[in-house]
Amino acid sequence: MFDLGDSVILVTGASRGIGRAIALELARGGADVAVHYHTATAAAESVAAEIRTLGREARTFSADVVDRERVQEMVRAAGEWKGRLDGLVTSAGIYRGPPFEEVGLEEWDETLRTNLAGTFWAIQAAVPWLRRGRHPSVVTISSVLGSHAAIGGAPYQTSKAAVEQMTRALALELAPDIRVNSVAPGFVRTDINRAAHEDPEFHRTVARATALGRWGEPEDIAPAVRYLLSREADWVTGLVLGIDGGIPLR
Amino acid sequence: MNPERAVGSKVVLITGGSRGIGRATALLFAREGYDVAFSFHRGTDPARATAHAIEACGRHAFYRPIDAARADETAAFVTDARDELGRIDAVVANAGITGSLGWEGVSPEEWRSIFATNLEGQYFAVRAAVPDLKRTRGAAILVASIAGLTAQPEEVAYAAAKAGTISLARSLALALAPEVRVNAIAPGWVRTDMTAGLYDEPQARAAIVRGIPRGRWGEPEDVAAAALFLASDGARFVTGETLVVDGGNSLSWRIGRQR
Repeated sequence: MFDLGDSVILVTGASRGIGRAIALELARGGADVAVHYHTATAAAESVAAEIRTLGREARTFSADVVDRERVQEMVRAAGEWKGRLDGLVTSAGIYRGPPFEEVGLEEWDETLRTNLAGTFWAIQAAVPWLRRGRHPSVVTISSVLGSHAAIGGAPYQTSKAAVEQMTRALALELAPDIRVNSVAPGFVRTDINRAAHEDPEFHRTVARATALGRWGEPEDIAPAVRYLLSREADWVTGLVLGIDGGIPLR
Repeated sequence: MNPERAVGSKVVLITGGSRGIGRATALLFAREGYDVAFSFHRGTDPARATAHAIEACGRHAFYRPIDAARADETAAFVTDARDELGRIDAVVANAGITGSLGWEGVSPEEWRSIFATNLEGQYFAVRAAVPDLKRTRGAAILVASIAGLTAQPEEVAYAAAKAGTISLARSLALALAPEVRVNAIAPGWVRTDMTAGLYDEPQARAAIVRGIPRGRWGEPEDVAAAALFLASDGARFVTGETLVVDGGNSLSWRIGRQR
């Protein structure tokens, strides 16, 4: 089930964290993976190497997603690799968490350009390649903070709420050919929030607040992305699926 | 417990498993290696056919006619299914009925019947299985409907009951965490006996397709795959969620080709 046999999927932000786990899970599902990264060349190459040991093909592509032209070039290069894309996962994202009154233009711009604009331009650039693909679909990465509020990181929360609505808008506009869905992780232990989960008190607070009693791991997020990209999810589009251990239930 | 059974095969329990979404779910889980217990209400022939199809996958089937609106019959079915098949790893609370059309004409009896089968029946099915689900760290999946997310002036009781299902999934998810995960699935227009009246009428069938961005009716297998995902280890961090499987139907007030 949820076989991605011989599909070609571009994963942005795939060198680390959730993007890395997704890239590996898609390879386990039978996909060849275009591994996008920004600066972590060695990490991206190691993801690609791991994909090859799973018997699939992988190639790395670098770009700073805050730059629209760089994103377009990167997606074109990934599309030209196999002449098509069957899937796109937009996992590149950052978190900056100053208090609201200290948010400067830099934090705002960097967050919105990476998380929101970077996603938008990546999808736009991928559409022509997806139209040549088989059962094409897109999965964006939102956050539980796209629909539930927390104190701190307002630009991040704003960017993720916008990604959710972008997902729904594009699901409608790109139908019937291309499906667009999103997963909204809860608190997941990655580099993006290392300071948070390495703080023992905050670590406990999140674990207690989460119905399932623990932080998420990147590997908890990846299988849902694989399901959403699979043919078995052919009638699922515009969905934002929370993968958060039930943290909003409390 | 049946001593003939191989120890260790997973077991799914499905209410309303002889037809439609329930049947497709039973067969998909059977193909994926689950033994299947299912209830049905009327129609022994489709139930027997579903059981044979499960057995053709090399799996065990246990099935029984019950009124899913009755807590006592539901609990007895769950207990006997566990005794027969040894364990319960997933419950798919699927049994459902619709009522007559029109917001004004719902009698108190019809209202109660729709709520009893669609909503209460799900609660009692899950509740009866909780000790088993805790043992297996299993999952409950409640079949709701996009009728529970949207305005349905022609089917107010059905829609309200399905909205109740979505709420029930959230409350039970918190009540049963961390051992048992509980999620809902909200299907859109799926081709089953329940919707045959519309599907078989060309104008109604086409009007419904115009409302679906993906441009086709759903098949029971579309919903079954979502249930399989939610029951799987891959969904180990998913609880209290509603997985909408509707071809994009509920995204907008008027879909269609607006361009």
